[in-house]
Amino acid sequence: MKKIQLISGLIAAFICALTIHISAQNPKAKYGTFALTNATVETVTKGTIKNATVVISNGKITAVGENTPAPQGAEIIDCKGLFIFPGMIDGGTNLGLSEIGSDARTQDFNELGDIIPQMKALTAVNPNATAIPITRVSGVTTALASPAGDMYAGTAALINLHGYTPEQMFAGFEGVVLNYPRSGRRGGFDRRTEEEVKKANDAAIKRLNDVWERAVQYHKVDSATKGKDMGYYPEMIAMLPVVRGERALLVEVNAEKDIRAALKWVAEKKIAKVIFTGMAEGWRVTDELVKAKVPVIAGGVLELPSRDYDRYDQAYANAGMMQKAGVKVAIRSQETGNQNYRNLPYHAGFAVAYGMDKMEALKAITIVPAEIFGVADKIGSIEVGKTANLFVCDGDPFETKTQVKNVFIGGWQMPMVSRQTELYNEFLKREPGATK
Amino acid sequence: MKKIFILFSLAACATWTFAQDKGNVLIKNGTVLTVTKGTLTETDVLVKDGKIAQIGKNIAAPQGVKTIDATGLFVMPGIIDAHSHIAIDGINEATSPVTAEVAEGDVVNPLQVQIYRALGGGVTAVHAMHGSANAIGGQCETLKLRYGTFDGDAMKMEGAPRTIKFALGENPTRVHGTGNGIVPRTRMGVEFVIRKSFSDAKKYMEDWDAYNQNKLVKGFRGAPPVYNLRLETLAEILKGNIIIHCHSYRADEIFMLLKVCKDFGIKRLVFQHVNEGFKVAPELAAYGAMASVFSDWWAYKFEVYYSTAYNATILTKNGVVTSINSDDAEMMRHLYHEAAKTQKYGQLSDEEALSLITINPAKQLGIDARTGSLEVGKDADIAIFKNHPLSIYGVPQFTIVDGIVRFDRAADPADMRLMVDPKQNIDEPATILSEKGRDNCMDGTEFLFTETDKK
Amino acid sequence: MRRYYDRTLMLFALALFALPRTILAQDEKPVAPVGRSYALTNATIIQAPGRKIEKGTVVMKDGLITAVGTNISIPADAITIKGDSLYVYAGFIDGLSRAGVTKPKEEKQEKPKDPGNPPAERAGITPQNDVRNWLNPNDKSLEELRNLGFTVSQVVPYGNFLPGSGAIVLLGGKSSDDMVLVNNSALYSELSGAMGGVYPGTVMAVMAKWRELYKNASLNKSYAATYASNKNGITRPVSDRILEAFYPVIDQRMPVLFKSERVMETQRVFTLKNDLGFKLTIADVKEGWPIINKIKSSDARVFLSLDLPDDAKKDDKKDDKKGAKKDSTKTDAKKSDVKKEKTSFDLEKESLEKRKKESIGLYTSQASAFNKAGIEFGFSAASAKTKDIQANLRRMITAGLSEDAALAALTTSPAKLLNLSDRLGTVDKGMMANLVVSDKPYFNEKAKVRYVFVDGTLYKIEAPKDAKKTDAKPAVARGTWTYTTKTSQGSGGGKIVIKEDNGTYSGKITPSAGKDADLKSVIVDGASLSFSYDSNSGGKVDVSVKIEGDSFDGKVSAGQDGNYSIKATRDPKSN
Repeated sequence: MKKIQLISGLIAAFICALTIHISAQNPKAKYGTFALTNATVETVTKGTIKNATVVISNGKITAVGENTPAPQGAEIIDCKGLFIFPGMIDGGTNLGLSEIGSDARTQDFNELGDIIPQMKALTAVNPNATAIPITRVSGVTTALASPAGDMYAGTAALINLHGYTPEQMFAGFEGVVLNYPRSGRRGGFDRRTEEEVKKANDAAIKRLNDVWERAVQYHKVDSATKGKDMGYYPEMIAMLPVVRGERALLVEVNAEKDIRAALKWVAEKKIAKVIFTGMAEGWRVTDELVKAKVPVIAGGVLELPSRDYDRYDQAYANAGMMQKAGVKVAIRSQETGNQNYRNLPYHAGFAVAYGMDKMEALKAITIVPAEIFGVADKIGSIEVGKTANLFVCDGDPFETKTQVKNVFIGGWQMPMVSRQTELYNEFLKREPGATK
Repeated sequence: MKKIFILFSLAACATWTFAQDKGNVLIKNGTVLTVTKGTLTETDVLVKDGKIAQIGKNIAAPQGVKTIDATGLFVMPGIIDAHSHIAIDGINEATSPVTAEVAEGDVVNPLQVQIYRALGGGVTAVHAMHGSANAIGGQCETLKLRYGTFDGDAMKMEGAPRTIKFALGENPTRVHGTGNGIVPRTRMGVEFVIRKSFSDAKKYMEDWDAYNQNKLVKGFRGAPPVYNLRLETLAEILKGNIIIHCHSYRADEIFMLLKVCKDFGIKRLVFQHVNEGFKVAPELAAYGAMASVFSDWWAYKFEVYYSTAYNATILTKNGVVTSINSDDAEMMRHLYHEAAKTQKYGQLSDEEALSLITINPAKQLGIDARTGSLEVGKDADIAIFKNHPLSIYGVPQFTIVDGIVRFDRAADPADMRLMVDPKQNIDEPATILSEKGRDNCMDGTEFLFTETDKK
Repeated sequence: MRRYYDRTLMLFALALFALPRTILAQDEKPVAPVGRSYALTNATIIQAPGRKIEKGTVVMKDGLITAVGTNISIPADAITIKGDSLYVYAGFIDGLSRAGVTKPKEEKQEKPKDPGNPPAERAGITPQNDVRNWLNPNDKSLEELRNLGFTVSQVVPYGNFLPGSGAIVLLGGKSSDDMVLVNNSALYSELSGAMGGVYPGTVMAVMAKWRELYKNASLNKSYAATYASNKNGITRPVSDRILEAFYPVIDQRMPVLFKSERVMETQRVFTLKNDLGFKLTIADVKEGWPIINKIKSSDARVFLSLDLPDDAKKDDKKDDKKGAKKDSTKTDAKKSDVKKEKTSFDLEKESLEKRKKESIGLYTSQASAFNKAGIEFGFSAASAKTKDIQANLRRMITAGLSEDAALAALTTSPAKLLNLSDRLGTVDKGMMANLVVSDKPYFNEKAKVRYVFVDGTLYKIEAPKDAKKTDAKPAVARGTWTYTTKTSQGSGGGKIVIKEDNGTYSGKITPSAGKDADLKSVIVDGASLSFSYDSNSGGKVDVSVKIEGDSFDGKVSAGQDGNYSIKATRDPKSN
């Protein structure tokens, strides 16, 4: 046992040493007043402005417009021929909570227990996770760091992808994650009988209801006693803001049948703030979703259809179909296994290729998630007064070959490096080559 | 003995020769991305009998030949996925570190709807591979996506060279060393297992050669050596008749196999995944070994932690014949997009990027004389896109295999299953969502692991 | 079902339903038959598909048919069965099942040290095994199949890769050897791997190993021949039972019999056949239609499965029953449907249902398709539930198979495919006395099998109990029961006490020779009673019976001790 500890210590030390070694060469983020000039600015909320300047100062966007002068002393970044977009927001990641997919020692998103809303993702976010710079240099500036697991898996947190403590990164939204019980099988490997599947689902639904009832009860007692002399019930404390409608419940649900059941459930329980996530078969339930006015974070888009008789491109078309029907839809990448949240614009791009309106798809990864998370006053568009989360690129941000030139997060100009660019620079022309 | 072998080969010849469907079609007025011979605008491609008969302007349609109006569309060679596990029943014979004798060709399943979905992504051929549980895995099969046939043999690309899966690093050491307590548990062990196998095969080959030599002597009545299909297959690798496709990640293990192959005189070698190939790109290029990589997958396990999405670019710029593969039934549907990522990560040219999913994988599978580019005389395996295939907005409209339209976006119904489960529960369908970032190569080894370390 | 060698046979037809209970309750030891001669008179005899004799007589003696026709004089020693209004067919032949084969106890096996190289037995490689070692003439499964009119089965040992050689057996006999018609009829194989992570675990490894075994068998065989011709000066060949089991296959003296239900499986079997060149029989084929040409152009012999997927209609009916109330709303919905346009989801569901129905249709019409393609085939019962077989045959006929073709597939064709045409398959003089006698034409929905002759031995089929009764309230199980059992080793008996407490049952069994045992999982479902207990030898014994009034009748499965029948009567006061 001691030996193992020693070894893991050594490994940890090794990894740290390497990180330190690399970061020692890293240029640092820069703060100050910037004027991004001559750009085509896609504000998302206020149209497209050509030949425009965006001024960033004190972490905020202080001016946007055609004939906006650069303030004195501002660092001028000429964006001629370039485009400025609001930073992209990925509403479904485990950024900062996972380093290596197969190594449990590097994973902090999956705590033990099925009723653990008190587990806070923000606590475990590692600001120095390798994936963070890899993600942000592609223009994704904000992500929901989300726990995974059984029923009430914990509390997710929205983070900006720059900062040295979780507090510095926190982007103003937290929500309790509920994995709505699945009535179907878990996959092809699930060999349970139909009866067993049903039994398990019935038990899960019962537990779901029991927990909710307890939370409602707790809320009543807590309100009546003004919180005095309450025992320590951590799960219930964490559920309290959800019961009171002060915090959103993020309901992960995918199958048609489960979506219907979840819609019924949240209506019955009169849960005020609800966000449905995943929603692979949302296109089958659009009418009910519109009626219920539940916002949706859909994705990933780059998925297989959920049923063998579905049209081949059903998963690509899903988000667009919901949006067209009138559902408020954000798009997430959900590329948790390989930490490829940098592909968020491609998920949106595929939604466009398979039917979604291009502007709506852009909104689905900027202003819509900001609205869903209740932080649209701060991020999600390029408007004066908002946090300076934006990126500069040389073309359509959905287009694969588009190069991101500059990224600002909270007014900080990000160094455009990550471990992957560093390896590129070192090895493109390796020295020595084949012969020493 | 000889007699028996003659008997066997006769039996093999007696297998049915399947009437492969071959089509005729004229593709009019498209932008033709030949990959090897440049881009031709407003050009026609005439297909006769499943082969490309003519590429040029204003080709008149022969009588009765179907015409596809490709005005405003892009015509490219059918995409080839050099690493796939679709269309086969069974991926890993994970019971032994060496299983060269097993062959995916025996378990082709042409009924999987995944095949149609791949066609929907412009894919016309796949390398259906054994998994990566074993240091020396099973033989793979190059398939053409002739969706619609019920005949597994009709999916096989006739005449494609034999290939075999090898695997280095975490997967074989985890399955056999950690899982079963037998060598290999380390990368040292993996090298040993491979070297020993080749040595055994060499001895086996010599024994049989000696026996066959002796049999020529009149009156020889000696006993034959024991027939061993595993060593027989390994001997074929040593003879250069089977191409090695080796699952690998780390630079050191890649370099190790280069040395082993050099020592045993093996030249035909393709590395798969090869996430750290970029670190030994000069060595790979010098040896003539090729690389089939992911566009950007990383972080799903420790041996891919030090990866970079610039891998394909670095390999290409160092002269390594490189392809981009999927190893995944979903990703294989947008390999054109995966190839385009090399334009983000390293700004490869259109031709370089398209080569990664056409002519280069064809070279790696030894089928480049027949597929991988649009050239007269080649098989008519063609994908027709709305918008440029390297654009995010590129959408395959038609996919043609041997001149037959196997995917038609506008005309095909949603439900494309070839066989319908007569016990299907229509009201309560089982929803199966794919898991991203999973190492599909490890399918069939689940019984060895607990839930958490399945990836 | 029991055997009758009884004088009462003279009055058989009359006595069918009225056998006095006292006789049933008597000691089970069979009375020696007066003779082995029977005359079935005045019946409709379907000698073979297309050959019918009205009001004919069949005379049998010593296991053979000695005369068939009208105007036949009945020998003086023959027991006469009046066949008025009955229909006589040649006994049916099943191409593959495990009727009468005892399943070896499954033992939890430890994983071998090197899972890549397990002992042959663990790998499922036991081609040297002979199914005769596991035959049990008292096995219930044998009787179930016989009750449908089957008289002969090709049976194989349990196991998956190369379990051993099969035999063609009579579905009835005094001993396991007595049942055997043809031994070593085929080398049996399935394309399925070993369980528990040992080699070969996958189909591809099974196929690789198949090839390797076959080639080594070929090599060994030819070297053995070299050695036999002159033993001087060369090393002696070492005996290898596994490889030697392939010799008759290599010589084309014995076919390889593959169970190949699925279309892919069938194709893989063909791949092996084409590589190696053995004679092939495929059995329990369920999805042969997509590759019908491939099958036709091969010289493989074919047995189609008697199993079919459930009919879609069946489900509908169930729903209707359940929702009798809903019917009114249903018609309302239909009315409004006329006005309302169908949504894409309605259309999707319709198309899914249509495709499912078509799919079921393909399975159901497989036999007809094979018949039309000119492929001679038999049937196999391997995976079919016996209770469904007659209905499935009718479904195949509804789907286009002619009754003659169906009869051929049950009689003449399998006889030919199993090289038994000189003995079986028709009702002709000189053939074995294997007959099935039904009260209506066999394929009639209401037809019931009344008698089956196997090798000249008469089996009377008890009229199935009225089905309605099973739906009734649970039978009363409590009480003290006096039971008798009949095993191949002899008879036994004792007492069983069953108690009931508010629907929960418990009880005790007291064998007359042995210790008491508590009953476990006592379940009463309709007229069915089942329970289990631990036998004196420590094995688990499962009992399932049907209660009728104050008696029950059923079967006992006692693991390695085999299956046997049990009967009991209740002390009327104990209820």
